[in-house]
Amino acid sequence: MNSSDSITDSDEASRTDPEASSSAFDNETKSTDNKDEVMKRAAAKKLIERYFYQLTDGCGNPQCDNKYCASNGEMSPLTPDEAAAKAIQLFSQEARLCEIHPNKIARKQGNIINNTNGSSNEVTCKTSQTTNESESQSNYSSKDSLKCNSAPVPTFLTEQALYDIIDECEANNSYSPLIRTLGEIFSSIENLSKSFPQEAKSPSQAYSLDDADIKALKKEEVRTLEGEKDKDEDSSADSIKSSLPLVDVPSVRRAFTALFKLKKSIFENALVNALVTLAGNLQMELPTRKERGVNDDIVNVLLIVFEIPGLCSGDLLETALPAICRAAQGLPIEVQANLARQWSEVARSSIRIILMNLQQLITYCILRAMMTLMPDFCLQDENVITSATKLMKILYYANLLAGVLESPELRCHTLSDSTDGLLIKPKNSLPSDLLADELGVHVLDCRTPYIPFSEFYHEPLSEAVEMDRDFANYKSETGIRMNPCKFSFMHYPFILTPATKTMGLYFDNRIRMYSERRISFLQAVTGLPSQPFLKLKVRRDHIIDDALVELEMISMDNPSDLKKQLVVEFEGEQGIDEGGVSKEFFQLVIEEIFNPDYAMFVIQPESQTTWFNPTSFESDAQFKLIGVVLGLAIYNNVILAVNFPMVLYRKLMGRRGSFEDLQDWNPVLYNSLKQLLDYEEPNFEDVFMLTFRISYQDVFGSTISYDLKHDGDKILVTQENKYEFVDMYADFLLNKSVEKQFSAFYRGFQMVVDESPLELLFRPEEIELLICGSKNFDFDELELSTEYDGGYSNETQIIKDFWSVVHALSMEDKRKLLQFTTGSDRVPVGGLSKLKLVVAKNGPDSDRLPTAHTCFNVLLLPEYSSKEKLKDRLVKAINYSKGFGML
Amino acid sequence: MAATRRLQKELGDIRNSGLKSFRDIQVDETNILTWQGLIVPDNPPYNKGAFKIEINFPAEYPFKPPKINFKTKIYHPNIDEKGQVCLPIISAENWKPATKTEQVIQALVALVNEPEPEHPLRGDLAEEYLKDKKKFAKNAEDYTKKHSEKRPAD
Repeated sequence: MNSSDSITDSDEASRTDPEASSSAFDNETKSTDNKDEVMKRAAAKKLIERYFYQLTDGCGNPQCDNKYCASNGEMSPLTPDEAAAKAIQLFSQEARLCEIHPNKIARKQGNIINNTNGSSNEVTCKTSQTTNESESQSNYSSKDSLKCNSAPVPTFLTEQALYDIIDECEANNSYSPLIRTLGEIFSSIENLSKSFPQEAKSPSQAYSLDDADIKALKKEEVRTLEGEKDKDEDSSADSIKSSLPLVDVPSVRRAFTALFKLKKSIFENALVNALVTLAGNLQMELPTRKERGVNDDIVNVLLIVFEIPGLCSGDLLETALPAICRAAQGLPIEVQANLARQWSEVARSSIRIILMNLQQLITYCILRAMMTLMPDFCLQDENVITSATKLMKILYYANLLAGVLESPELRCHTLSDSTDGLLIKPKNSLPSDLLADELGVHVLDCRTPYIPFSEFYHEPLSEAVEMDRDFANYKSETGIRMNPCKFSFMHYPFILTPATKTMGLYFDNRIRMYSERRISFLQAVTGLPSQPFLKLKVRRDHIIDDALVELEMISMDNPSDLKKQLVVEFEGEQGIDEGGVSKEFFQLVIEEIFNPDYAMFVIQPESQTTWFNPTSFESDAQFKLIGVVLGLAIYNNVILAVNFPMVLYRKLMGRRGSFEDLQDWNPVLYNSLKQLLDYEEPNFEDVFMLTFRISYQDVFGSTISYDLKHDGDKILVTQENKYEFVDMYADFLLNKSVEKQFSAFYRGFQMVVDESPLELLFRPEEIELLICGSKNFDFDELELSTEYDGGYSNETQIIKDFWSVVHALSMEDKRKLLQFTTGSDRVPVGGLSKLKLVVAKNGPDSDRLPTAHTCFNVLLLPEYSSKEKLKDRLVKAINYSKGFGML
Repeated sequence: MAATRRLQKELGDIRNSGLKSFRDIQVDETNILTWQGLIVPDNPPYNKGAFKIEINFPAEYPFKPPKINFKTKIYHPNIDEKGQVCLPIISAENWKPATKTEQVIQALVALVNEPEPEHPLRGDLAEEYLKDKKKFAKNAEDYTKKHSEKRPAD
């Protein structure tokens, strides 16, 4: 019945449409309207738009006899291009316009929305089904009045107005008023941006919009947020300046819910067309907007548009959303930042849905491309995909802002004030992200994002993307800046899965390795000594010393040699290193260096993680070596059997450790400190009797004390200074006590990876994955090493059943089982066999659940009567048991 | 030492409280992190003797829980041959820094007096305790008489 069908069939058409049609409006207006009067042009444009909608949507009256009206069903569907051209033609002919539907008006609050003479509005809107003949006259008069009238009356939609219109339409069983309204409002930046305004509210109230979300924030999170207050005030101050009221998002949601209760066929086409026009307008307007602060209307528009339900299906997905995405890619950086802030504040509960919509769009584009077997399809050239990715980035930052942030002060960019004189090479500063700068946040500031980062991974895209091409784009962009418009997903790493990102890193590594090798060959030609590989020759029984000496030499003479491909040779052995020998080398070095006798690292019994020994006697060089080894492992694609806490990777990425990092570093300590913070009773000092002197144990078991403040043992920890105490304690444990060790380690690591896009691509948890591989839950190994007690053996039926149940558990449940029996879901270095699990009989068949002694890794299992019962009880126990207790 | 102040206070409190079931507390002047004392249970079959225990406080006390070890052999489902005991109040998951050592000792005495066969460290003893209480009581009493310390006079 109207033209949108044809749009959906050819995306090409819709892509060119917005610019074409809107610029056509403009040009035409210019030529017809010689007098360069803005008002008249606006009026003319309005009229052309009306012709356009008449051609595309129709007037809504099925009996309409106007041959240029879509409603009578006689007209063949037009593409928006054709419709635009035709509209201009009709305008110049002053052709007949259908009855004016004043129903576009949001009548509430007396906002009169049309360009017609206001007085007749109230009447005609009630009798919207009057015939065209009677109205044709008023058409002309309206047009006349337009020419002499001033600028169009501002128009907007409110929740109530929409309800009214829907009610009226349902009463009259004619939906043309609704269609008209949607068309009018949703096609215009101005109209839409003023719609659904918030009641005048103070900015602090604006925060409380998502009450549920705020409530969900825990106390300490609020505390963290309070640290950010200054920034928040700044940002809200920005939005206050604007003359436009903010969008009342809950109201938008209610309104859309009401709208989408109607049959979709009624309004979908109108909405899609309006949005396509809107996108055109956006695309046209954006380049002309330079000034800061006048873009709030665009933020409002996008806020509203992305609240539309059902964006992920049908025409909305295939036509409207791509157009909007394409238009939005030209958003100036301040607008992007503003939009991110708005999303994180008033619309945070929509983040997941918006993300799904964008992902759906990308999936749709990829599938369509695959189905049509486009020969030279390249994701980076597909405008819809790249623009959706760009929007997703804004969403990604909104997700950061909506999560739990920590103070940016914890970023440390320099470690150069380290103890010894060795200079760290200035870090190859990757171009920092503009949006991040504008918002003043960094990915690492975020402790807990609002929705998990992993939900941003887009599997089909990660599979389809050709990383070699992407890497070439990335290089061409950063390298010479000749062609900055080439798109590379490496700048949008959140969308790529770690496996795909690893490919990007791999290409970078290979290219650097090859270029190092090429230079070596050149040197060979010119007579200089050449060495295309990083060659290490070590003795097995002195592996650390030899590696240390050799790597030290290399890092002194020519650190760039570290970037060559590693080739290891064991003295007196024939093996040629094709990867296997260096793997063994890594394994041996790691085993040796983490050996507790070496005392460079300690294993924390509570978390099974490895940490620097703060009282180590080893030299900095040893720690630097382990840093180099870690870097080489990433660089040469070797997985290491190390189990560092996450804070190490965060520190490697340039963040200092803070209180929240203790959770994974030592959960017992963390929980105790948290209870300290949660303790609100007035007798705080008497109960805890703590001072600012803390102590720890060295590897020999002697106790060492440290004053967090001068004369710390004289300063009591009180209700007032407990936060300071906890922060200082965490800072000591994670930063100060291992400063020397860590900075040497860090220097070693940086020597290898300093020029790679590692930091650009990966977040700390992904680096961990890169170094340690995925957490290996080898339950076969666990079964072999498990011991039995209380009358069980590996021959007992229930034990056989137990293992068959366990092996069939999901990864998640296996993790929980580990947590349940051992108190930690981490795999100790050396694998699960090191756990020494004991399964002990706990009486005959009963209804009791299995229990565990986490102190000794003992699982107590009653001899259940059947396998089903065993499974049922076991799954219940691991899923419902939190904490500890004797039942 | 950080924990000194608090441990001194706790030690003083316990000594002053005159606990009947935990006595003879000995602490090395130079190392307040290790306490020794005598558990004196009231219930049979353990009321025929007393049991020496050692409490080890970590350097990070009270942020990490103390550990308890039986120095005297005991025939008890919840205490293993090495003297290790699994006491919920001082387990890593449950530990609260506000918990006082006195509470820990009371929990320990309660566990000695009333074994928890549902949560055994020694499955064989737990089974015996549940199936044949008389036999268990006899064995435990014999064992106590043979291995335990002398009960204090009063």
